[in-house]
Parts: sequence; structure tokens; C-alpha cells
Amino acid sequence: MARLGVDVGGTNTDLILETFADDPVGAGIFQHKVPSTQQDQSIGVVRGIVELCEKAAISTADIKRIVHGTTVATNAALEHDGANVGMLTTRGFRDILHIGRHKRPHNFSLHFDVPWQTRPLVKRRNRLAVTERILPPDGRIETALDENEVRAAARRLRDNGVDAVIVCFLFSFLNDAHERRAQEIVREIVPDIYVWRSSEVADVMREFERFSTTAMNAFVGPKTARYLSRLEAKLSDQGIGANLRIMQSNGGLATIDQCIDRPVNTLMSGPAGGVIGGRHFADMIGEANILSVDIGGTSADISALSDGELRIKNSRDATVADHPVLTPIIDMITIGAGGGSIAYVDSAGGFNVGPRSAGAEPGPACYGLGGTEPTVTDANVVLGRLDADRLLGGDLGATTERAERAIFEKIAEPLGLSVTDAALGILRVVNNNMALAIRSASVARGIDPREFALMPFGGAGPVHGPALAAEVGAKYVIVPPAPGITAAAGLLATDMKYEVTRSLLRDLDAAGADELATVDAELTRLETECRDRLWADGIASADIEMQRIAECRYHGQGFELRIDMPAGTLDENNVQTVIEAFHARHENDYGYRFAGAVVELVTLRVIGRGHCAKLDWPRLPTAHDEADTAQALLYERETVFDDGRSLTTPRYDRACLAAGQVINGPAILVERDSTSLVPPGWQAVVTEHGNIRISEQPPHATNASNPRVEEAFS
Amino acid sequence: MKNDTINPITLQVISGALDTIAEEMGHVLYRMSFSSIIRESQDLGAGLFDLKYQTLCESESTPMHIGSIPAYLRGIEATLQGGVWHEGDVVVHNHPYYGASHTPDLAIIIPIFHEGELVAFAGNTAHHIDIGAATPGLIIDVGDVYAEGMLFAGLKLYDRGQRNETLAQMIRTNSRAADQLMDDIDAQVASARLGVKRFQELLDRYGRELIFAATDQLMDYSEKRLRQEIAAIPDGEYRAEGLLDDDGRNRDVPLPVVVTVRIEGDNVTVDLTGSADQTPTAYNVPFEGSCKVAAYAAFRKLLLDTYTADSPVPSNEGSFRPVHVIAPKGSMFNPISPAAAEARFTQCNRMIDLILQALSPVLPDKVIAGSSASISFASYAGLRDNGDYWVFLEVNEGAYGGRPRSDGPDCIDNLMANTRNNPIEDLGMHLPMICDRYELRDDVLPGAGRYRGGLGVVKSQRVLTPGFITIESERHLEAPCGLFGGLDGATGRNLIYNEAAPDKVVEMPSKFSGHATSTGDVMVYYSPCGGGYGDPLERPPETVREDVLDDFCSRNHAFEIYGVVLDDGLKLDIAATQQRRDDIRPQRSR
Repeated sequence: MARLGVDVGGTNTDLILETFADDPVGAGIFQHKVPSTQQDQSIGVVRGIVELCEKAAISTADIKRIVHGTTVATNAALEHDGANVGMLTTRGFRDILHIGRHKRPHNFSLHFDVPWQTRPLVKRRNRLAVTERILPPDGRIETALDENEVRAAARRLRDNGVDAVIVCFLFSFLNDAHERRAQEIVREIVPDIYVWRSSEVADVMREFERFSTTAMNAFVGPKTARYLSRLEAKLSDQGIGANLRIMQSNGGLATIDQCIDRPVNTLMSGPAGGVIGGRHFADMIGEANILSVDIGGTSADISALSDGELRIKNSRDATVADHPVLTPIIDMITIGAGGGSIAYVDSAGGFNVGPRSAGAEPGPACYGLGGTEPTVTDANVVLGRLDADRLLGGDLGATTERAERAIFEKIAEPLGLSVTDAALGILRVVNNNMALAIRSASVARGIDPREFALMPFGGAGPVHGPALAAEVGAKYVIVPPAPGITAAAGLLATDMKYEVTRSLLRDLDAAGADELATVDAELTRLETECRDRLWADGIASADIEMQRIAECRYHGQGFELRIDMPAGTLDENNVQTVIEAFHARHENDYGYRFAGAVVELVTLRVIGRGHCAKLDWPRLPTAHDEADTAQALLYERETVFDDGRSLTTPRYDRACLAAGQVINGPAILVERDSTSLVPPGWQAVVTEHGNIRISEQPPHATNASNPRVEEAFS
Repeated sequence: MKNDTINPITLQVISGALDTIAEEMGHVLYRMSFSSIIRESQDLGAGLFDLKYQTLCESESTPMHIGSIPAYLRGIEATLQGGVWHEGDVVVHNHPYYGASHTPDLAIIIPIFHEGELVAFAGNTAHHIDIGAATPGLIIDVGDVYAEGMLFAGLKLYDRGQRNETLAQMIRTNSRAADQLMDDIDAQVASARLGVKRFQELLDRYGRELIFAATDQLMDYSEKRLRQEIAAIPDGEYRAEGLLDDDGRNRDVPLPVVVTVRIEGDNVTVDLTGSADQTPTAYNVPFEGSCKVAAYAAFRKLLLDTYTADSPVPSNEGSFRPVHVIAPKGSMFNPISPAAAEARFTQCNRMIDLILQALSPVLPDKVIAGSSASISFASYAGLRDNGDYWVFLEVNEGAYGGRPRSDGPDCIDNLMANTRNNPIEDLGMHLPMICDRYELRDDVLPGAGRYRGGLGVVKSQRVLTPGFITIESERHLEAPCGLFGGLDGATGRNLIYNEAAPDKVVEMPSKFSGHATSTGDVMVYYSPCGGGYGDPLERPPETVREDVLDDFCSRNHAFEIYGVVLDDGLKLDIAATQQRRDDIRPQRSR
């Protein structure tokens, strides 16, 4: 019953195959990489699967499950290449999507762009108002839905050739009767297209965010549906009968049908795999607190996991392509810093690295593919941290000279620095930018990085690991085995997961037994909905786990915090635990509690998980002699470290290392698509599954002064 | 060591750390706070300041607050309770004649001590919904500054860490929204304390000498970036003027704003001489905390545009240094105590708009056509059944003028304003108000041009209890101007009617105070629309057609103004369009 994970990235499609003892080839793990086919991702996916099966010498028919991380929805959103969407909305409120929150993206600019106006999810001509009115705070109907207007609008949208329709009425979170009826009528008139209502996509208060989420769902929907259906068909053409599961933005899996119904949940399908993969490898060495840092060519995705738990973004902060989406998304900070980030000196002499990137084309200057601007990779090459002749297995023909020339011309000469100092400077600035982002993902969220291990992965991650760990004070570095395919591995290391929400505003301090019973009944309804979906996916009751969350705030505040609900029926006794948990959470997050203020419930959320088996990564053979690393030694070269010293540094082939081996810095561990740095004074230990744990050793009390401060003045 | 320069790499590292501190301070403040003007609108500012009261960093919140805190600090120096800063002090301050931006913007300032010595300040400002003025919320038609509510000058809410409960109770007793006021002050204190903690961590890490050498150099860097841009403008005097509607009491007396921009090398002076004398109402601009701040913001937008800049300019004091402001004492832009000066926003925004118009001959690729350059600040208030007040402040948006390479954005906060709106649904759940309409205006069209102006908004708010409305808006008289052949935009309107008699509409002036309302009264705001940039006949016909499809233009307007001919099916008639444009071009140039 082999399983396969396939993650589509911007450049490569990464695959991982896990076979088990009952498979003809026995238990094992196989990896593969093929170029991504962005026009139709399914071509690369299917090709990769077929090739990997050949490589592993198993029949495609033996694969029982395929888990897929896709960027189809993401790309449709980012490239603004989605469906032609029509919208029915409440009369008087045609332009909620155009006005947004009326705040400019820039304070100090006259020429700024307003993405929701210049690249709308629904064009104004397709936003049609109909007469209806529901009133707060109880959802009573002030004006009945004018069904004839709905019919006329639906016909007009059909004539305009829309691919999908959304029904977005004000206060539908209080009463969805009008949205439901309008949806029915539209389906009668335009039966062959997707029709969603806002109260089913995001049943929460705040009109702009709810409408925007619904619009995004429809904008990426038809494309996602076509892609997933096509992929299913292609797989079946190849005789692959495996059941297909998709990674969602929340780090859980869903079926094809669920994704076609809620494509908006797959917007961050790609990066989610990386975080899950990072967690899985950390778990193998018993580390539950990690800062995952996935560094690619143009950007770095950073996320903090404490006690092994993914952090989900406060839905108020979640945006994709500058449009708010109220869907559960792993709390991740993405910054424009990667191996291809360009370093430059601006007109007033300021020194900057990124966010502009040389990407894969022309790529870093050292590649010789036409890039002349120095990048982070070039700085690593100049300093001997990456060996030009071994980049991507040596297939590139990269040279150190080209990197040196670019750094000399663009940075060293204008700033009056040596090439080495300029290269060190590029790394300090880019590492600092990443460190600030790591702090925003940790310190700013009440997480102390000193209790966390830093896990760098992605091709460009591991070479920066120790510097980042030192900068943020992380306790040590873990480099996972095969850092280039961590995200694909993550696909085989997670559960099925569905979330349902409902806005239900109640002051908890004042709520009587009746009101608490209403809340409890709503929770039960949400749990039933979640459980039904998991059952429909074939998950056994014993493998289902429910989490019930109350999103609360002090009455009068604008931002909610998440509180776990106690088990059992909510009543006047255990509601006090919810209230106290909220006070405590507020104090933890903001440093203050308003002890006398009323706690208000805003939204109920139920998360249902269906447990799946996790990737079983093989153990390495144990080393006979921990210190004898001769079998892995490749050669020695000069490498410059952060204090400016150039040291003769051995390179080891990571594939030849055994469990338990210890390598003292300075050293470099090389594999085909990634390089790990062990600075002087640090030590690398190979763990039983092939993770490399790199930590700073206690100093020998040699250099008492702080080199950072000494060197800062020039 | 003092004279040494810090290497650019260390500098970048410290610059990033300072930005992060300011952002975090702003973040905590708006997430924790209760009144919608802070939590939703984010009408606040937060940052760190050195002992010379120079801004070291400031949060990206609302431009009107950015750059105002140094003036507060100078005012606090003159008024500080006991005259000495102690560790653990927290000062509250809002006196407009001691540097405050205006009275509702309370500052919370905490001194930062390091190794026992005062080294810097952490502070923030936030707009409070009611500080006990003569009318609830906003205030326009009053006689002097004492009618604006409680004045705080250098008062210690905490003295050496000890909370002054007398002062706290005094504040509570004098506000119509006591809980929100005091809880939001507590949120400000939490935000400033976070700034203190974070800056102390930075000092511990790098040492005081290095940090302040770095901040000095960062300010010099920002200054240099702005001076380079100013120096590229030809020396000379550039002038523009406009009229404001009235002072909120004397209806037929428009108020001139005269802006002279003087470029001398890498310095610029904004001279407001010739503008109206100070008014007898609160329609005046505190000079230190608002007037100068607006001029600083104008040049940052114009010359250090963060959207077009190739590299970021640190947000600090350096960008203020090359900009000088002159406003004669006793004028609307520099009133003399005790003149009231709470309603100062629209004058500031108009000043910026006129700076752009003045410089248009020499910076045609940088300036934009006239924007709404107004604001609509609305205060709704009433009594609940239990006798408690409810007060709601709303900032309504405007629209931008057409730009050299793009249309003016529609329905968005303008120039000095950059708040967020309140979700209609959140409002309806918590206040006795219902929003009846919120969409783009359909009664007028925006200024035509090669790049059209932005279309304004219409918003109708219905009150469900008797109460009071105060409105501070502008541009009922003069429409935002078109530029380089673009046409003028449209003026704004305010209407009030009762839902029971929607035909009995009362046209209201742009500013009015404490207007008594009945249950079911509806206040309708129409924002001004931006002017066009460049000749409308040069707008691509296909773009005009797209505008017609999306109701940003009518078929008739396309024909008359843009010379674009569309058939009944709204298909473009290219030949007829060419002919029409050839016909009207000579008439226009006459």
C-alpha cells in the first residue's frame, strides 16, 4: 500500500514515495524531482509519478494514496488569472469589494496601487444589487428578497458570460434565508456554473472580509476544479487508482470534492507542506518547539511551532494577493529574502539586499546565465560557503570569479570595502532581514526563540542556519535529511482536517443558561457537520478528533483571540474557564488584562481531524566510531566565517555520514541540492534518522570582547 | 569614537530593529483598544524619540500622527509635573498650545532609562472619542480651547511606577465615554511600555554609544535622501491658492488658503502667509503639532514616494529637517491661545493639495491632479435607555486626483488621512445605528482626463435613538482641480432626512456642530471626487468603454467629454470616435 507525496514548486516538482513491508520492494523511501510544468501542473505531476515508480521498481497500480501540494489556486490569485465572477449583493452596497477598508496600502505615496480596485475579483459590471434587507442585531427581515430582481440579475450575469456567481448579502451571518433563496434561483437560471453564498464559505461577521473570501473562492474555483478533475482523469488514464488528497492552507488534507467545493482553502497548499515536513523531522528527535525557515530562490517562509502545534493565523490578518481571505492559514511570514536576492547600493549610499531577486533566470552572477548583479548565493560562493563547482551537483558550470566581479563592481568598490567584507555584509543584511522576520513570527507572538530550535530547509536554507540561530538566540539548528524535499515529505505526515465556523455574538459574563444552551447547540451542530464530512471521506470514528474553539474579545474590542472550549456541555460553571482563559491569553499576547471588562464571544470554530499514518523515515546505520568521518571527507578548501577569519575547512558528503557521528566546525556538509555550514566553535551531530543537529559549543574563554560591536565601527 | 561612521551593514541591522519596535507598538495599541476610532480606524501613532525629541522610528499608522510626537515632547518639557523625569513615570498630554496635534489626540509618553540614566522616550498618540468637550465627540463651533474638554499638560498618570488614581478618576468622571477613554489610555500605556522594553533590549545588546551613533546616522541618511530630491527642483517660488467653505459658524465667509513653496537649493519653505486669519470657532490648526506635520508629510509623499522608491527611507526625523514652515501668528494655521483648534484636518489636507498644484509646473511627472483633499469626520451620539451616552466617530473617505501614469483611486482615505472604515455589520451589532447605503456616488462623475480622477463615496447612516450629529467636512464650494487639460472633479454634499419622509431632504453645510436628531434620521455623505490629469481626448477609447461598462462614465459623457462613440450595444465605433475627437479638439484648445 505505497503512498506518494507530490509538491509543485515554482521551478521543480518534488516527489517522495513511501513503500511498506507488504509492497513487493519492501519498506523504503524514494525521492524524485522533475521540472514543474506551470501551464498545466498535472503534466509534471503525472510524469514525476510514473518516473518515480520506475525508479522504485513498483507498479503505479501499487500506489494507494497520493497527497498533493498544489499552487494552482495560489497562482490564479497571485497572477490575477482567475474566473469571470458575477455577484449579487444587497441594494445600496454594490461596491463593498471596491471600497475595501478604505485604507491605502502606502502612507507616503501619491502613485500607489490599490490592488482590489485595479485587479478586482469581481468586475463592477458584474456586481448587481438586489432589493432585500436583514437587520441586526437579531437578523429580522426588514425588506423581503425581491425574487424577480434576482432572476433578472441572474440572466444578466449569464449574458455577461460569467463562470461563477456569488451571493453576498449584509448580515447573512445572522440570517441566511435570503442568500439561500437567491442561490436557489440563480442555480435554476444558470444551472451549469458554480454558485456560492457568503454564509457557506465564511459564516462570520464583517462584510468586506466575508465577501472578499467568497469572491476569492469563486475567482480561483473553476480553475482549481478543472485542474483537479483533469489530474484525476490523467491518473486514472495511467492506471493509477490511488485516492487523491490535497494539502489545504491549514496544514490538513481534504478530498478532491471538498477542495472543489472550497477551493479558497487550498490557497496556501504549497508552503503548508514545508511547515508540516519541518515538524515531522523535528518530531523524530523529540523536538516540539521549532522555528521553520524554508528558504528558496526569491523568498523565505517562516513559521513557529510550539509544543508541536501549528499556529494558525488570526483570520483578520490573512490575505492572499492583497485580498483578505477568512480561511484558516498556517501562520507564516514570507519575506523577499532568498538565494537569488540582489544586493545593491542606493543613490544616497544606503546598502540593501532584496526583495528584488535574480530568480532562476538570469540567476546569481556566478551561474553565468546573464546575471550581473550580486546575489546572496554569490556572497556565499565568494566566502567559500558554497562551492561553485558543486552547485546543483556541479551541472551548472558556475564560477567564483563571476561572483567576485559582481560583488566588487556593485558593492565593494562603491562602499570602499574589500570583496570579502562586502560579501560578509550581504550575508549580515540578509540574515538580519530574516532574523527580524523570525522575531515577528516568534517574539511578537509571545514566543521566546531561546526555547526553540531553528530548522532551515529548502535548497538555500541550511547554509544560513547557524547565523540565523545565533541572531535570534535559538537553542540549536536542526537540518532535516533531504532539505530540498522537506515540503513533499510533509505531505505524507499530516491528517485530514476540516474547519467550520459560525459567528454568534454573546457576552459570556452575562450569558444565562438559555444563551449558553444556544451556544452549546451551535457547537454540536458544527461538530456534526465536521464529523459527517470525515465519515464521508471514510475516516473511522475512532480516528476522529474534535477541537472546539471560541474566538473572543473584550466587549468593544475589534480583534478576537482564540480560546479552547472545555469538554462537555457549556454551562454557567465551565463558562468561567473560558472567560479566565481569555484574560490569560490577552495578558500573554499583549502584556495586560482588563480585569473588569466583559468577555464577548464572537465566533465558534470546530476543527475535525481524521488521523492518517505518518511518513516512516528510515534510520541510518550507526557509526562504529563517532569521530572517524574519513569515509565522508571530500576535500578541504578555504572558507570565510562571520568573524572574517578564513579557515581551511573540510567538506563532507552528507550521504556518507552515519548516525551518531560528530563533526566539529569549521566544516561543510554537502549534498546535491543543499549545503550545511558548521562554523568554528559549533558542532554537528548526526541523529539516528539523519537529521543534523548543529549547536554552538561553550566558548573556551578566549575572546572576551564582543566582536560585533568592535567591528561595527569602521 | 563619536565621529566615526558606522558601517552600512550594522546600520541596516539597527534600522530594521527600530522599525520592528515601532510596528509592534502600533500593533498592540490598536488590537487592545476599545473605541472604533483606534481599533478599526487606527487613528494613532507610536514610536521612539531621543533626548533632543527627534523621531527615531514611527509606526506606519496614520500620517497625521506621524511626526507630531516631537512637538508633544517639547510641550511636555515646558509643563512636566515636578519638572523631572523618573523611571516608571507615564505622562499624559494633549495641550494644543504645548505641542499637541489637537485635544482629542492624547499622547502617552514614558521615559526610557538605561543603566540609571534617561536616554530616550517611548510614546504614542491616539484619538479618543470623548474627552468631555462642549458637544459629544467632535467639536467645531465653540469659542475657545477650554470648551474642547479636558486639557492635560505634562501630567503624570504614573509617578515612579505608582498610578495616580486621583487623576484616573478625574478623567473617568469627565467623559461621556469613560470606560472607552480609560481603557484606551491603558492600551496606550501597554504599547509604550513595550517600546521601552524593546529599546532597552536593543541598548543592552549593542550599547548606548553605538545605538545613538546609528540613529544619528540614520536620520542623516533620510535627510540626505530628501535633500537630493529637493535640490533637483529648480530654485524659485511656486504658488497656489484655494478657498475653504467656512469656519462652521459664519456661513458665507469662505476662507482663503494661500501656499507659497520656496525652493532654495536643498531646502524648501512652505509659506502660508495670505491665508485666512484665525477663526472664532475651533476651525484652526495647531501650528507645531499639526501644521508643520502636514507640510512634512506633503514632501515625503511627493519626493520619497514609498511605492516608486527603489529602496526604503527610514521613517525618522531626518525627513523633517529640510522642510520649513511659515504661518503668521494669529492666522488660521498658527492661532493664538485661547483660540479653539480642534477641527484642523481639512485645512491640512488642502494645504498638501495646494503644495502639489503649486509645484505642478516643475514636477509634472510627480504631482497629481486635485484630490478631495478633505475628510469627513462624523460624530454620532445619543443616549441609551439606561441614560448612558453612546458616541461613535467615523472617518469617511475621499478620492484621489488623476495621476501621471494612472487613474486616481476611488473611495479611499486621502493624503493625511489613512484610517480603516468600520465594518457595517460590527457597527450594527453594537450601536443603535444602521448603515443604509455605502457605495460609489452615482449622482456625479469624477474629473475627466487622460487619467481620470477617483470617484467618491456615498454613505447613509441612520440613527435609532435621538441624539446629536457633528460633521467636519469640506469642499462644498470648490471642486478638486483638474491638471494639464484634465477637468475638475465634483464637490461634496451632506444631506439629512428622516426615513419616514425620505423626500423632505435638508441640504446641510460641510461643517455643523451638535445637530439634534430624531429617531430614524438619516445622514448622507457624498465625498468630493478627484480632478482629471491630462487631456480626456487622449484617454484610450477602449479604456473609456471599460469605464462605461463599469459605470465610471456614461455613454453620453463618453461622447461629450471623451469624444468616444459607442453604439447601442456599447461596441466601440473607432471611425466615429476619431471623427468626433478631430471635431472637438480645435474647440477645446480655443
